[in-house]
This record gives sequence, C-alpha cells and structure tokens, in this order.
Amino acid sequence: MTGTEVVRRSEQTDRRAPDKPSRRSITQRQRPLWMLAPGGVLVLVVIVIPLLLALWISLLDLDQYSIREWIHAPFLGVKNYVEAVTDSDLLHSVWLSVFYAVLVTVVTTPIGIVAALATQQAFRGRGLIRSVFLIPYVLPAFVVGTIWRIILQPDGVANRTLGHVGIHPGLWLNGPKSFWTLVLIQIWASWPLIYLLALSGLQAVDPQVHEAAALDGADWWSKLWHIIGPYLRGPVALAMVIAFLHNVNNFTLPFVLFGVPAPDDVEVLPVLTYVESFQNFRFGLSAAMAVCSLVLVAIPIIVYLRAVRLDTADDPDTRRREA
Amino acid sequence: MSGRQRGSGMSNEVNRLLPRPLQVAVLVLLLAFVGGPVLYMVLASINSDLGVAAGEFWPRQLDPANYVRIWSTVDLGKGLVNSIVVAGATALACGLASVSTAYVLVRHAFLGRLTILRGLLALQSIPGTLMLLPVFVLFASLANILEITVIGTRWALFITYLTFALPFSTWIMVTYLRGLPRELDEAARVDGASSWRILTRVVVPLSWPGLVVACIFAFLLGWNDVLFASVLTNPDTRTAAVSLQVFGTSQEGGAIPLYGQLMAAALVCAVPVVALYLAFQRYLVGGLTAGGVK
Amino acid sequence: MRVTRTLAGLGTALLLAGIAACGGSSNGGGDATNGAGKTINVLIGVNNIYPDQQRKWFTDVSDAFKKDTGATVHFDTFASANDELTKIQTSVLSGQGPDIYALGTTFTPTAYATKAFVELTADDWNAIGGRDRFVPATLGISGPDKSHEVGIPFASRPFVMAYNKDMLAAAGIDKPADSWDGLLEQAKKLTGGGKYGLAIGYADSFDPWKFIWAMSVQAGNPLVKDKKAALSDPSTVKAYQTYLGWLATDKVVDPASVGWKNAQAVAAFGQGKAAFLPMVSASSKVTLDKSSVAGKYDYVTMPTIPPGMTSLGPGGVAATSILSGDNLVVAKYTKNKALVLRLIKYLTSAEQQDSYYKTFGELPTNAEEAKKLQSDPALSAIVESASKSVGTPFNGAWSQIQLALVDVVVQSIPSISKGQLNEAALNGLVQKAQSTAQSALDKAK
Repeated sequence: MTGTEVVRRSEQTDRRAPDKPSRRSITQRQRPLWMLAPGGVLVLVVIVIPLLLALWISLLDLDQYSIREWIHAPFLGVKNYVEAVTDSDLLHSVWLSVFYAVLVTVVTTPIGIVAALATQQAFRGRGLIRSVFLIPYVLPAFVVGTIWRIILQPDGVANRTLGHVGIHPGLWLNGPKSFWTLVLIQIWASWPLIYLLALSGLQAVDPQVHEAAALDGADWWSKLWHIIGPYLRGPVALAMVIAFLHNVNNFTLPFVLFGVPAPDDVEVLPVLTYVESFQNFRFGLSAAMAVCSLVLVAIPIIVYLRAVRLDTADDPDTRRREA
Repeated sequence: MSGRQRGSGMSNEVNRLLPRPLQVAVLVLLLAFVGGPVLYMVLASINSDLGVAAGEFWPRQLDPANYVRIWSTVDLGKGLVNSIVVAGATALACGLASVSTAYVLVRHAFLGRLTILRGLLALQSIPGTLMLLPVFVLFASLANILEITVIGTRWALFITYLTFALPFSTWIMVTYLRGLPRELDEAARVDGASSWRILTRVVVPLSWPGLVVACIFAFLLGWNDVLFASVLTNPDTRTAAVSLQVFGTSQEGGAIPLYGQLMAAALVCAVPVVALYLAFQRYLVGGLTAGGVK
Repeated sequence: MRVTRTLAGLGTALLLAGIAACGGSSNGGGDATNGAGKTINVLIGVNNIYPDQQRKWFTDVSDAFKKDTGATVHFDTFASANDELTKIQTSVLSGQGPDIYALGTTFTPTAYATKAFVELTADDWNAIGGRDRFVPATLGISGPDKSHEVGIPFASRPFVMAYNKDMLAAAGIDKPADSWDGLLEQAKKLTGGGKYGLAIGYADSFDPWKFIWAMSVQAGNPLVKDKKAALSDPSTVKAYQTYLGWLATDKVVDPASVGWKNAQAVAAFGQGKAAFLPMVSASSKVTLDKSSVAGKYDYVTMPTIPPGMTSLGPGGVAATSILSGDNLVVAKYTKNKALVLRLIKYLTSAEQQDSYYKTFGELPTNAEEAKKLQSDPALSAIVESASKSVGTPFNGAWSQIQLALVDVVVQSIPSISKGQLNEAALNGLVQKAQSTAQSALDKAK
C-alpha cells in the first residue's frame, strides 16, 4: 500500500466521523499506541534479537573450530570477559576510543552550531554553501579514509606542501601523531552532523521572535544566548550524544586509514573487536569486548541524558514564556 | 520561498544571527576547511595515477577520461541504482515511521515512555561490528524457516537500514515536535479528528524541516554503509559504497592504485546526494509559517 | 503541497517496486546431476587488472557449463582478503552461501579448521579428473596430509623479484645476488641520485610476513613445528633486523615506503626509481609493461640464502616463495555436490587452464598444461619459483600467526622511519608476537 492510498483511506473514515456524536474530551484523549508497533517490531527483530544472540555468543568459546556448529560451541561463562579485561588491549582501546570520541565531539559542536547560525538567514549562494558543507558527510567513510590516506602519505601532498615552507612533519599514519590524524579527519568528516541538527533546530524559531528581539534592540550576542539558544538546546544535546556514539563506534575510517594490524596509537575499540572476530576468529572474545564497551559507553550516556534532561525536556510553551 | 525572503531585505536583516563580518569569516574558513580536500579530490580525479602517487596537487597531465572509465570498471551505474533505491526507500519509510513514533512519544503520556526514549538512544551505542554476524545469522535462519531468499536481496538491506536509522530519526522528530505548539493539534482533536488525521494533516505539514533532516540521516546511513552491505548483497544488489570499496581495495598484487578513477567515482557518487539535498532544502527554511499553518 | 505528496507517493511506489524487482534469484533444490534450473554460486577474488576480461570469463564459463549440464554458474567476487574472511565466516555460521570458494592458498588451513568444507574422497578426486592431473607441488597446501585434503589447486601465483636491467648494467652488476646479504650489497651500490636499491611496501598488510617467513625457513626455522611457535628464534629476529634494516640503517629503500602497500612499491619500480622489486607475482607484468621500465626489466627468483649466512641454514629449505595461488574449496552445505565437482573438473581442465593463463597471466595447476609453459623463456623465473615454492604451516591458527608477524613491522615503523632499529624494542615486539602465536596454537584443534 502506498502512502497516498493510506491518506485517502483515512480521509474516508474521517468523513464518516462527524456523523457519530463521539466528541471526546481532551483529557481522555485516545492514545494511538499502535503507531509504535511497526518501529517496535523492527527494533525487536533486527536489533534486540541479534543483540541477545551476540550476548549469548560472548559466553561461548566460538572460534574457527566451532563456528560451523556454533550452537554446540563450548559454554565458557564469563571467561571471555575475564580474558578481555585482563589479557587483551581492551582497556587501552576503550581509553583511546572514549578520549578520541570526546575530543571530536567537543570540537565539532561549536563548528556545527556556528555554521548553522551563519547559513540561517537567506543570502545569494546559500543553497550552494549549505550543500558544500554537506559533502564530507555525504562521502562514504571508505572514500574519506582513502583520500586522506593519499594526502597524508609520507611523500604525499600534505608533506610536500608543508615541506615548501620548511616544515617536515614526518609520519601521519603511524606513530604518536596518528591519533591526532584520526581526530582531525573525523572532525572533518563528522561536523556536518551537528550542523544539520543545529540547522533544523533553528527552523523551529518563530519568526516573530526575531522581530521582538529587534524591537527590544537586543544585541546579537544576547539575542543568540537568551532567545535562540533555548531552541538549539534540544537538537544540539541530541547531536552531541549521537556524534559521540558514532565516533566511538566508527570502524571504517580508522580501518581504511591505518589498516590492520593497526598501530598501537590508533587501535580503537571497533578495530580491536573487528580484528579479534573477523581476523583472529575469536568471535566469543570479540563479542565480550564489544559488550564491555557497550556497557562502558551506555552508562555515561544515560547519566548525561538525565543531566541535560533531554528526554524530559520542559514543555516548549513554558520555555517560550520564560524567554 | 527564497524569492520572498530576498524581496524583503528588511525582514531578512531582522533574521540575522551573526554580525556580517563574523558571518563572512565563518563561511570563508569553513569553505576552505571543507573545500581544500574536496578540491584535491577533484584535481586528483583528472590527474594521472602516477601524478597522484607522486604527491602532485595541480595535475601536470589531465586525464578526464577517468569519468568515462568508471562506468565499466567500478560498475557504478548498477551500484548507484541500488543505492538510490535502497537508501531512498529507507529514507521514506523511516520518515513516516519516525514521525508517527515521535508523535506518540511527545504528545501522549503513557507508562514506559521515558524508557523507550532512553532505550532508543542507548541502541545507538551498539557497535556495528558486534551486530554483523548475529544479523546475518538471523536473516539466514528466517530465510530457512520462511523458505525465501533474504540475503543478497535489497529487502535485507532495506530492513536493516530502516531499523538502524529509526532510533535516531525518531529522536530528531521528538526534539522537533517538542518545539511545536501543542494548541494546534489539540484544536484539531477538539474538532474530532482522528490521531492519524492529526498526524498527516497537522503534524507532518508542520514538521517538514525536522522530517527532511530525519530522512537525510536515514538516507545517508544506507548510502554510506559498507559493513552490512558487503555481506548482505551480491554483485547484482551491491550498493555504490560497496562497489567503491571493492574497486578501491582490490588493487593488491601488482597494479598501480587507480586513484584517479577512485576519486572520480567517489565524486560521481556524491552528486545524487547533494542534488537531493539541494532539491529538498527549501523545506529546511523558515520556522512555523513555512509549513503552511496560515 | 499536493504536488509534493503526489511525488512522494510516486517515489514510494517506485522505490518499493525497485526493491521488489530484486527478489529470489539464486538456489535450486534437489541433487540430480542434471543441472537444469539449478544454480552454482562461486565466490572468487575480483580482478581489477583485467576487470572486463574477468566479466567475460564469468559469462563464458557460465555459458559453457549451461551447455554441458543445464545449470547456471553465478559468480560473486570479494575485494580483499578481509572481505574474503568475512564472507567465509558469515556463510559457515549461517550454513548458506557460495558453493565454491576460490581461496588464497594461505587461507586454506583456516578453511580446513572450520570443518565446513568437503574433505575430498578418492571418488571426489576422480570426479574432478583425478588427483594426478595437478602439478604435485601445487597440492602442498590442500590439507594437513594426503588423506585430508579440502583445497583443489586452481591457479598458481608464485612470488619472484623484478629487477631493472639497465640500472644493474650501469652499476656493473651482471645478475641479482642469490643471498639476502649479497642483495643488500648490490642494493647499496644501486642507491643514490634519488634512486634506491629496493622497492618495499612496508605498510602492506601481507608482504612483510612473507619476507620474514622466507628468511626464517631458509635459515631452518619453519615458524611453527609440532604446535610450538618459534617466532622469537634468533633466525627470525635476524630476518626482522634485515627487513627493517634496509630502511632504518642501510637506507637502500625510499623513506616514503613506510607508507607504501605492495602496489605503490610496484609503481615506484615502474617509474625507474628502484633497482629491485622483490615479492611480486607475474600479474605485475601488466603494470610494468605499461610503465617507463617496459622492456628494461626481468624477473628472477628471490634470494634463498638467509641473511648472515653463506649457504642454507641447518635444516633450511631453499624456498623461493610461499606456495601461492588459489585453491577451490567446496562448502559442505552445497545441495549440488555432483554439479559442483563437475564444474571444478571443467575449471581445472587443460584447455580451461590454458585460457585462464592467457587471459589473466596466472600459472596453471594442471600438470599437462604446466608442462607446455616450462619451455617458455619469458616465464623461466616464475616457473622455477613455482617449483621451489614451499607451503606455509598447515594450521588453523596460521592467519593469527600471520597477523602477529605483520604487527611487529607495523609497530616498528615509527622508529625505523627515524632511522633507528632498537634491538630491545624489536625483541619486545617479537616476544609479544611469539606469545600471541603460541596461545593461538594452544587453541588449535
């Protein structure tokens, strides 16, 4: 059934509606919980069930020797978790991943907000600039990684250009600098996420607000801070959470940039778990590592959510009255 | 829309958020930051492969034929069609599902509402590398039980992307819908409109900007994914991103990397998305009045 | 507004139709030898040197097989070794996927360990034309022993070394050395004026371990013996010192090669910037014949005398290359085993191997066909290397050991690019690789 059909059908039912004198009071409004069903079923089937499966795998000794009949793989209990924490690079990788994800999020947030503020009001060429800003986010991570790998080769364009002005930066893709390379490139590739969400937040600003601010003679900074700011709070807080999580789970970029085995300085969590399962065939251990990271990441997120009250945000009407 | 805004220069000045010099500085800096590497891509796409390998910025030898070659070497045409179909369907379905889910979550209080909201965000912290094998096993078992082909079809990708995109898109709509005045749909409800009618007639028209962003993210998720697409597709259903990766990584064992073609193909792949964005961005303007409440 | 909605509706309909357009395409049931209506799925590495030829080859094989049996052959390709592994894992785990896999030889032990591939019985060998239709050496990595084989040799791709004849002549060197030490001396002579003795891809994901393995085997250390890893053996440490020293201390390699993969090393050689290009297969010929060194280069086997020695080490083997190429393995879950074996018989027949060689430049594994090529002077080094190739240890843990071997090089790159080869640091890395390898072997079954 297509969207238009659905609409037409509901029109028919609606036309019948006024015949029935069933005007409900607003307090007893119907709650169309059925609208949650399609999404709920999908999430259950494609995310929750596989996740449970992954949890189960993390308790098994699943490797190249047991993969064919994985249901019968030896049950290990928490042994994989013990090995992950005590006898692998997991903690190092978690630290790297979290540090890198926080850095990238903290840097991209102001860039994205400022970019949204600068392209909000109409001017000639705005559409083009908005589109150009989107390009890094539109390129597949594989491509972004490849371009930057070419640029940052020891004899690549970056070192050549810097060499002309007397700077010899040395290795970008291995050694201590590789971590900062990863941070820089992820900033380049991911800031449009914050930008897009901030821009969508700005669209909710009532035009009258601008006029009111102009009448009050508010200067641009206090207008931004006191009037526009509250509109951005929700979308930007959401964008930060998502950006952080995407950074933590970003696999393709470090994989393409640095390859496997990865240099120690950029052995981030997704790369570690990927290598452990898809190269070393330690599926159980890898799943245990991923679950550890899941827990380590989800807890701060929940704390953050409570702190910014993203999910219990005030009613927008009260917010507007305050402003 | 934009014509009207351009026409009334005065109201446009009122809408200004940053002082002009600051705005210009921000735009110039960001264009340079984004444009530098993109310019390099464009130049590399018409450079000779040896030139790119030698670290040239300005090509010494122009080779625009790369843009012709990619259609046979990268198998780009098929990839683009697959990507547009899968990502496009994901975006549309996700837009519809997320706006209705978000509408329920924002406007109706019920037990477990907060749990669902937080759970949706928590789902985003699941690493893709953890899910790859289980999702594959699930699809394979479903295929065996229902005796249908799942893996290798576009359906498998569509369902996967739709589900992975849904939590984030829903959250985008949640934050957006919260900004809309409650009075509008309450007024409709007083008039006896059904929930579905309120959703399609009042909520959706008002939330175009949020909806467009939610759809863009869903679209890009499907467009850029390689991890799932590389195991869930076959050569006939391969997406453009996978084709690019196949082309880019399969040059081990003797050949000089075909940088020029890779860059050309990547740029060609970016064009449909940028074009779509250009087409839809008129919905990204303008606050409540733009959607047509008046 | 209405226009938009109509458009959106139209778009939805189109997209849904688009998804649906690609419904079931593969797999038929039953098990009779008559293949009408059945499909055989083959997974094979994508060939980007000859993309069009490969596509044509797919069609040709499919057409020929359809004529023969009525069954369709459907080819799927993987891009890289990582893709290949992922495909194997997902298929094995779910019990569905390609019927035939063309695997890199070094993955055969891993595939064997999963027990998901058909162990060939005498009948199976007969069905594909007999075990003795193959060059005996190519069977060296088909299984742990003769009675437990899963891999059917399909293509042979031994490694050799390309050298620039002009550069050698100019330096008064008549032929490349047969020892690694001798090669280093020659490379030193050939380095200078922006040119380097050797072209090496230090950042390649596979090349480094092949060097370390070859030098170790020549010195008498096969790296794995009786489930014991010997990665920290002095011979292996010496191999690392030699391989890393070329760049760090001997400076006979372009410093930029710390970022190179194999392909970039080939490119540098093709631009005439290096005299020797070790660890390439015959497929480099296509690239080099189009480059500035066309006609000025030749292939030779790599040195077989280990570093620091003047002859083979005690128990050493004069391995010129790993046993390299592609093996075909048959998935146990296949529903059409008879057809699958028939297809393999066709693919490994003399005429098919001939056309495969002529199209892609990969050496035949079919004995009859290989004999014909033996006399071709242009191929002498490659054919010689094929006969002197040695199989890597047949152990399910080999891919982990491989990774551990490469990891030592990856982690050494920052220091060698500064021109340092710190012995203590190297020993630490080698020790770590040794313990990783040993624990992987301990889990091996």
